[in-house]
Amino acid sequence: MSFKVIKSSFLSTVQDYGRLNHGEHGMSQSGVMDEHAYAWANHLLNNHFNDAVIEITFGGLQLEAQTDTFIAVTGADLDFKINDETAQMWHGLQIHKGDVLSWGNPKIGVRAYLAVKGGFDTPVLFDSRSVNLREHIGAKLAEGDELSYKGFNETTYRFIPPQYIPNYNQDITLRLLPTYQFNEFSINQRDLFFNQNYTVTNANDRTGCRLSGAPISIKKERMISEGISYGCVEIATDGLPIILLKDAPSIGGYPKIGTVFSLDLARLAQRQPNTKLRFELMNIHEAQKQRKKFNEFFEISF
Amino acid sequence: MHNIVSAGENALLIYFGDKIDATLPEKIGNFANQLKNTLSDVIVDLIPSYTSLHVSYDLNKIAEQDLRTQIEQCLTQQESQSSVLESNTTHIPVYYGLEVGLDLERLLAEKNLDLESFIELHTEQAYLIYAIGFSPAFAFLGEVDERIQLPRLPTPRIKIPAGSVGIAESQTAIYPADSSGGWNIVGRTLLDLSLNNPENVDKFRVGDKVKFYSITRDEYLKNGGLL
Repeated sequence: MSFKVIKSSFLSTVQDYGRLNHGEHGMSQSGVMDEHAYAWANHLLNNHFNDAVIEITFGGLQLEAQTDTFIAVTGADLDFKINDETAQMWHGLQIHKGDVLSWGNPKIGVRAYLAVKGGFDTPVLFDSRSVNLREHIGAKLAEGDELSYKGFNETTYRFIPPQYIPNYNQDITLRLLPTYQFNEFSINQRDLFFNQNYTVTNANDRTGCRLSGAPISIKKERMISEGISYGCVEIATDGLPIILLKDAPSIGGYPKIGTVFSLDLARLAQRQPNTKLRFELMNIHEAQKQRKKFNEFFEISF
Repeated sequence: MHNIVSAGENALLIYFGDKIDATLPEKIGNFANQLKNTLSDVIVDLIPSYTSLHVSYDLNKIAEQDLRTQIEQCLTQQESQSSVLESNTTHIPVYYGLEVGLDLERLLAEKNLDLESFIELHTEQAYLIYAIGFSPAFAFLGEVDERIQLPRLPTPRIKIPAGSVGIAESQTAIYPADSSGGWNIVGRTLLDLSLNNPENVDKFRVGDKVKFYSITRDEYLKNGGLL
C-alpha cells in the first residue's frame, strides 16, 4: 500500500503534529505549518489527529497510487488534479490503483496537505514522523520514493461545512499574546508595533517569517538565550520582527515582544511574500478558550 | 527569587536568575526533573537554558493560572530540598591541529600563545553544560579561560564539519553535525555525536559536565580522522 513519487520539484515533506517532547535535546518542534488545514485533512478521513500527511509547498509534485485508497487534500489551491482532471479539495475522495495525483503552480495559498486513510507510515524518528531538513532528520520527497501508508478497515468520511474553508487571499491580522519581554518594550515602541502594516518578506520558510516595516527598539543591555515558543516574535538587532515557526531552534537570544496565537499562525502559513499584516493584542484566556475548542473538536490531546 | 512569565497560549517561562551563574544549570535541571515527576500529566515539554526553564503544557488539561500556582508550590518545595541530580562528566578526545582547527593559527597569534599552552588551557577544566540548543545535541559549555576567549567570526562559515570544536566568547562547544556557524574552530573530535546514532539525543544534559583531552595527529588519523 503506497504512493510512488513520479516528480517532486520544490519542497514536499512528510509531517505530523510535531516532535513535541525533545526541546530539552535541542530539537525543533517541527510538524505541519498549517494546523487548521492539516487537522481537517485527517478529520475528513476519520484519521487520528497525529497521523502523518504530505505537506506540499508551492506544488510541483506528482504521485502514482499503487493501490486503491481514500485521500483528502486541503490547504492551498496548488492546482490539484487526478489524472489531469481538476479534483475536489476539502473532501474525502476514493482513488484507484494507477491514478496520478498532481499539484502544479500555486493559485491561492502556499501549502497543501495530502492525507491518506490510516496515515502515512514513514519511519518514526524521535517520536515523530516530521521531517526537519535543518536538523538532518529525514529528507524531502524525491523521484522514485515509495510512500507507504497504514491499512484501514472502514471507508466512511466526514464533510466540512463550507464556511470553514478559509480564504487565503485576505490580508491578515495576527493576534499577539503579551509574553516574554513584552513589558520591557516602552509604550511608544509597542504603539509603533501595533499601529503599522508589516509586509511578509521573501525570508519566509518553515523556520521563521521575517517582516519588513518601521523598526522598533528595546532598551536591554544583554539578552540571555532562553526557550522558544512556537510563534514568538523576535525583534532582531535591526528592529524588525521575525515570527519563529515550526523548524526554529529550541532556544534563542533576541528579545521577544509576544507570541502569536497558534490558529493565526496557521493562516500565516498560507501567505505569500508581500502580504500585508498587522498585529493586535489578545489575552491568554481568550486564546486558550479558542484553542481548547479547536483541540476538542479535532480530538487533539497528548 | 523566581519569576514566572507567560510564553504563549500553552507555555510558561520560569526565570531562576537574571545573570549567567554556574550554580543555576544544576538547579534548573533538578527542577525540570521534579516537574516531570509531579506534573507529568499536563507537561508536554521542558527546555532548560542558562537562567530559565521553558515549560509547555496541554492547555486542554490545565489553565495557565492553575499551572502557575502548582509551579510556585513546587518551587517552594525545591528550596527546602538538597540536590538530587547526579552530574555526569563526558570525556571528549580532540585533535588540536592546524589542519582541522580552522581558526587555531589566528587565535594563537592574537593571544600570543603556543599550541601546547592553548591545549592546556582548553583541556584543564571540566566545563559545565549551560544549555542545549541551536541544533540537536549542541551543548553550550562554559566558562572558557579568559586567555583563550575570542568573539564570534564577523561572518559565519557556511559549512563547519561535524565534530568541530569551537570557541565563542566565554563558551565552547562541539558541532554534532555539519552545520553553518560563526564560532572559532580550534580542533575536531572523532566521536560521532550526531543523531545518526539516535542514542546521542540525550548524551548531554544541562547541569552535566564535559572535559576535553588532547589526542595526537597519529591517533586521530589511525582512528579514521580526516584532515
